[in-house]
Amino acid sequence: MIDTLMLIDDENLFHLVFEDACSLLDMALSIEALDSSDKAAEMFKKWFPDDPNHEKPECVFVDLNIIGSSFDGIEMIRKINHEYGNGCVVGIISSSQDEQEIEKAKLVGAQFWIIKSDDIEPRLEEFKKDYEGYKARTAPFKVYR
Amino acid sequence: MIEITEHTRNVLLEVAKKRKVYVEGNFLKILKAPSGDTEFEEYLKVCKEKDSDKRKQRLEITKQIQKQNSELEQAAKENKRVNRQLEKALEETEGARQKAEELLISSKTHFRNAEKKEKEQNQKLTEALKEAEEAHIETQRLKLEAENAKSKAEQDLSLLQKKTQTELMGNIVRVALWVIMGVGLVTTALYVFVMMRGLDAKIIESTWSNLFGILLTNSFSIIGTIMGVKHATKEK
Repeated sequence: MIDTLMLIDDENLFHLVFEDACSLLDMALSIEALDSSDKAAEMFKKWFPDDPNHEKPECVFVDLNIIGSSFDGIEMIRKINHEYGNGCVVGIISSSQDEQEIEKAKLVGAQFWIIKSDDIEPRLEEFKKDYEGYKARTAPFKVYR
Repeated sequence: MIEITEHTRNVLLEVAKKRKVYVEGNFLKILKAPSGDTEFEEYLKVCKEKDSDKRKQRLEITKQIQKQNSELEQAAKENKRVNRQLEKALEETEGARQKAEELLISSKTHFRNAEKKEKEQNQKLTEALKEAEEAHIETQRLKLEAENAKSKAEQDLSLLQKKTQTELMGNIVRVALWVIMGVGLVTTALYVFVMMRGLDAKIIESTWSNLFGILLTNSFSIIGTIMGVKHATKEK
């Protein structure tokens, strides 16, 4: 089970869906949902330079297009991996299946891409199975369709 | 995992029994029943089932709301698109209406101009017709005059011809009579001379007689011819 999980998505309703789905699947113990990449960036800024091992989430799910934010999910992942320090499992959760975007995400260090849809649970369940591989950085990049 | 104290355990069980209040949420995931405590294990199982049921219910409702939201967003997009189309159609209609009005005004102006032009043309045509009629009347009058003139000229010519003919005939008759009279007188004078002189008058006698007969015959022949010609001309 993931200890702490962060979701960055502008759709508040999806926060509830994601939390309930994760809870039912016993996927995460604690979930923090944010609706802005700017807020998330502020938090990561505080966490990593001063105390790299404190409060950082174990895994981060980022939406591709975060309406109302200064940057999108791919930039968020780039910042997490290259500006604030690598250390957590990070990937995209989006309804988009754009191959170019997927490639971009891969290049900035995303470890997975989950296609968001009404029936999200089977993909999360599959992700849960692969999670240990992501944590150990041994699992390859995967798209959950 | 957290293993709770007996007191907490008893309180939780009592609250569940008496007030039907159970522990819920992710906290359940870190609670652990003391080993061998089947009652508390059962309690945790019930708590988890209740929590799971609630979450399932909420997830279902949230998904429905999400779906409805998505449909509403889609409908809103469609509405927006339809509105845009309607606005566009309205603009086009307005443009067409303005164009139609302009055309109508232009048509009216053209119609008025055409009407005016037609009136002017009609007036001109009436005038031209009137002029033509007048010209026709004038032509008729001139024609009549010309015909009259022609008739008069013809009459004059005829009269002149007749006069000329008459004069010619008169001249012919006069000359013929003079010739006849001259020949008669010469012959008579010659006969008289021969008789007075006592010369042989046999030849001149018969000559005179023949000549006289011929002259008379010719005279009457000439007169007859002239009369005949005159009569024939008159008939024409």
